[in-house]
Amino acid sequence: MHEELAREALGHVDALYRLARYLTRADADAEDLVQETYARAVAGASGYMPGTNLKAWLFRILRNTFISTYRRRRASPEVSGLEVADAPATEEWLRDDLELDRLRKIVAEEIEAALMSLSEDARTVVLLDLEDLSEVEMAAVLECPVGTVKSRLARARAALRRRLRDYAR
Amino acid sequence: MSEPPPERAVETALSEALQRLPERRAPARLVRGVEDVLATAPARRSRWRRVLVPALAAAAVVLVATPVVVSQRNAVSRAATATMVSEAIGDHLRIVQAQRPLEIESGDGHRVRPWFEGRLEFSPVVPFGGDAEVPLRGGALAWFLDRKAAVFVYGLRLHTVTLFVFRPEGLPWPGGHDVHRSSARGFTVVMWRAHGLGYALVSDADPGEVQALAARFGGA
Repeated sequence: MHEELAREALGHVDALYRLARYLTRADADAEDLVQETYARAVAGASGYMPGTNLKAWLFRILRNTFISTYRRRRASPEVSGLEVADAPATEEWLRDDLELDRLRKIVAEEIEAALMSLSEDARTVVLLDLEDLSEVEMAAVLECPVGTVKSRLARARAALRRRLRDYAR
Repeated sequence: MSEPPPERAVETALSEALQRLPERRAPARLVRGVEDVLATAPARRSRWRRVLVPALAAAAVVLVATPVVVSQRNAVSRAATATMVSEAIGDHLRIVQAQRPLEIESGDGHRVRPWFEGRLEFSPVVPFGGDAEVPLRGGALAWFLDRKAAVFVYGLRLHTVTLFVFRPEGLPWPGGHDVHRSSARGFTVVMWRAHGLGYALVSDADPGEVQALAARFGGA
């Protein structure tokens, strides 16, 4: 890996660790996952296209590593999907000024707990959005069409808002 | 009764809430480990290296055997040992970074070990064939300095553990020690001789775990 590229890659270690931490839910596993991600990135450096978003490329390697290595080992499979079953009642809550005010006062631990309660797919798309990746870049990371990213993100944020309702009350 | 807030206000409030997520930074030891990985380019072993490294190692052996000054001899011995350690780490990284590192993929030691028959001029003796905690992933052929080696690859959580088995003759083994343990570039390397063979176990897992694992292979 070129020295300049390696330096840039190192600059994304915090972002990768954040995503790894939210995916694995454990510090040690997150560290392992990030380390393995960089090892794979170095090994496959020729697959990176200069001029494209390096962070998005690293995120894709991390997610694939997580799926192929970590998630496969988990004893109890996590429910996939975006948890759209409990959709009703959201609109009523969201249209309440008082509840909106409470949403604005939610503290870090509450938003984190709500995020952790979502499925892996939902957590991932919300976190990638937080990292300022474009929808096209998120689609590359998640290896799905852009339209799917849009719908996944919308459903994930709606699910998150339902979770936060519990903390706001 | 107040007007319902627009959808955009709620979305904005949610985005602002997400910005308040606890800041999690990568631990310093992880950053150091990543720096080590990035500093190691996946270099192919050249013919020059195959010739030069064994020659240098042999030269180091000659120097160690020459009774000049004790301190000089110790320094050369340390340098020769460092060459072996560096070789073990380099070979380990080539395995970790390779697209298809394994030539035989199996968790069954009774399938992996016979695969080397006819491919090596020795039979690799490996007392530990893996278990649920440290599963065997498979094996491959590699070079360790100037000689062919059998490589057994294991997993330890998300870490890769690589065991190299090779002929031990003529290598600059640390004098007076049956087992040599060292750490470099974030990796732990345990080297030992047994069954008339040389062994090098390498991993970036916790040093204590690597040493305990080496004991299961007979390197204790």
